Amino acid sequence: MIEELEKTRLIFVTGKGGVGKSTVVATLARALAARGRRTLVLETDAFSAMPDLLGLPTLKSATGAQAAGEHLWAENLEADECFVRTLSRFVPSKRIARAVVSNKVARVFFKAAPSVNEFVILDQIIEEVDRKQADKYVYDHIVVDLPASGHALTFLGVPQTLKGMIKVGPIAKRAQRIAEEIRNPAKTAIVAVCVPEEMPVNETIELAGNVQDALGRGLSAAVVNMVHEMPVSPDLEDELVALLEQLRNNGTLDLDAIHQKDAPALKKLLAGSALALGWHERDAHYLGLLRARISAAIQTLPLIYDVDSARIVGVLARSIAEPTPA
Amino acid sequence: MSKSEHSEVQSPVADCLANGRLIVCSGPGGVGKTTTAAALGLRGALMGRKVIVLTIDPAKRLANSLGLDQLTNTPQLIALDAHRDQLPDPGEGELWAMMLDQEQTFADLVRRHAPDSGALERAEDNNIYKLLSTALHGMQEYMALEKLHDLYTGGYFDLVVLDTPPTKNALDFLETPKRASRFFDERIVKWFLPDKSTRKGFIGRVINPGAIVQGLLAKIFGESFIGDLIEFFDTFQYLFEVLKERGDMIEFILRDPQTYFLIICSADPRRIREALFFHEKLQTLNQTAQAFIINRVTPRFDLDDLDPLDPGEFDALLGAHGFDDPARATALREQLQTHYRALAERARKDRAAIAELAKKVSAERLQAIPLLGEDVHTLGALLKLSQWLSPATPSA
Repeated sequence: MIEELEKTRLIFVTGKGGVGKSTVVATLARALAARGRRTLVLETDAFSAMPDLLGLPTLKSATGAQAAGEHLWAENLEADECFVRTLSRFVPSKRIARAVVSNKVARVFFKAAPSVNEFVILDQIIEEVDRKQADKYVYDHIVVDLPASGHALTFLGVPQTLKGMIKVGPIAKRAQRIAEEIRNPAKTAIVAVCVPEEMPVNETIELAGNVQDALGRGLSAAVVNMVHEMPVSPDLEDELVALLEQLRNNGTLDLDAIHQKDAPALKKLLAGSALALGWHERDAHYLGLLRARISAAIQTLPLIYDVDSARIVGVLARSIAEPTPA
Repeated sequence: MSKSEHSEVQSPVADCLANGRLIVCSGPGGVGKTTTAAALGLRGALMGRKVIVLTIDPAKRLANSLGLDQLTNTPQLIALDAHRDQLPDPGEGELWAMMLDQEQTFADLVRRHAPDSGALERAEDNNIYKLLSTALHGMQEYMALEKLHDLYTGGYFDLVVLDTPPTKNALDFLETPKRASRFFDERIVKWFLPDKSTRKGFIGRVINPGAIVQGLLAKIFGESFIGDLIEFFDTFQYLFEVLKERGDMIEFILRDPQTYFLIICSADPRRIREALFFHEKLQTLNQTAQAFIINRVTPRFDLDDLDPLDPGEFDALLGAHGFDDPARATALREQLQTHYRALAERARKDRAAIAELAKKVSAERLQAIPLLGEDVHTLGALLKLSQWLSPATPSA
């Protein structure tokens, strides 16, 4: 997957709350950076997760992009700040611009107006995509952590809608440009994150269809996060399955042993193993459903038991930065 | 999983179920919030109450697990009687469920309160209304409030269980009318609107700062967009009163001692942090969370569980089930032991995270729910979940 993503400069990552979307954003960014690609991570005014995931102090919009390691930067695009920056570009006089943007009432009005918030954030994202220094792009890749909601398409569809409503003028032109960028799979990747559970998988399948309908292009990839691995190595897999099946059938296996303080060690071991196998098989089932229903490439990431988010990101990034043999 | 291991004291969740008129389930996403709300609803119904579960986020699986094809914008009765194989007799109790359809609710609201059919037409013709009314910030929360108002004051349901969206501003609708109606603040909107009921003279109008800003913004965004926006706000003025009234109503509901807040999360440190955010939010509203429900906690694996394990016993078991190769048997045993230790480590981390949380919000308010073996897909499974949430008393 990483090799495919390297072909597009703008990467949007979407997913519902709780699937580890932000972890995946940080992972992809670290992986790209590890491969020598200058990468910028952009958060969009959400629960700022990057500081934890990348090992940084708080990200404040006003301070601009912060370095997070070799070839890696991160920034949190707060809507207010984006509104100021965007408007300042479109108003002819800087003095008037300041007067308008510092006007609290104007700000509240526009913050409430539909689509304006999304537009100014997207505008700033494209600014970073276009940013050059000495005729070279400053960043090879921009990875965007979209708001965690079911409304990724509302967000990404805004430029098209706005262009339809405004029709002429500098904002309409800009909205057109942004819409074209998003609709072009060669320039923009849309990656959906989910976990191997029924609802997230169904939502991802739905999203793939909706992206095609609304944006005229497909989902670039799906990342299935927090997959439970087999408790044993692949060569022992069949035997374990067969053993536990037999033990279940003849009543030796007692799943409740885990909850009982004094259950014999052997029973606990078997119960724990059966539970873990169950999780793995359940995950494999939903993964299979997803594979059958979407055409986009699927990358799985294992569930890692660690409290240190940045360390988890490091491990995951290393695993995807090396291209796996076909 | 014996019931005698649970505390004899009535759990905080039991209190809500017995006495609550409104239970608000808040918290981050992906932690089983909707399922928990449904489990609470079911339990309330089985206690003989007339319960409605209102979900905000589309929850197709929830519909299926409740035996419905889909959830709609109006309450649907769940046929508890049809599941007597899984459930006890509900008696007088009823369980209803619905899912908020933001657009439909908004359209209903507009239709119900339009002063005349002309206003209705203008509204429905407005570009912005057509394309973006549901993208208005806070609209989902306002519509949730509208539905909540209807259900709470309707007189039919004893208990409303509200499942909130997994967004950080999900509790915004609970804020005082003053803060919540910032958007609908007439003072702000009137600043931009054509001055119909002018009390200012000619001079006042000329130096109206709103007009200057308006002109400037029209240059940037185009006349028609600004015009549409202004007309949109103008057209919906009549809604301001309605929504402000809702805001006032929610104040009233908030202060009611029979309104309970639950915060639902998992043992993941990031989710706990998000849960604490909701906790702080509630405190700013002078409310407290009745309980924190920590879902999907790793079952009680302990590192020393396997100390007494007799490798010989294990190998013998394998032998008895067709494992002839001793080297493979050893490999299997060792790998399973290693994996068990990893699970034990995970269980320990979950418990440590919960202990940390207990320091901040007091242990009595924490309820840990273990990761159940199977997905919660049926009414029977929801009942089982509800028993972890609120253990049945011996006499029940």
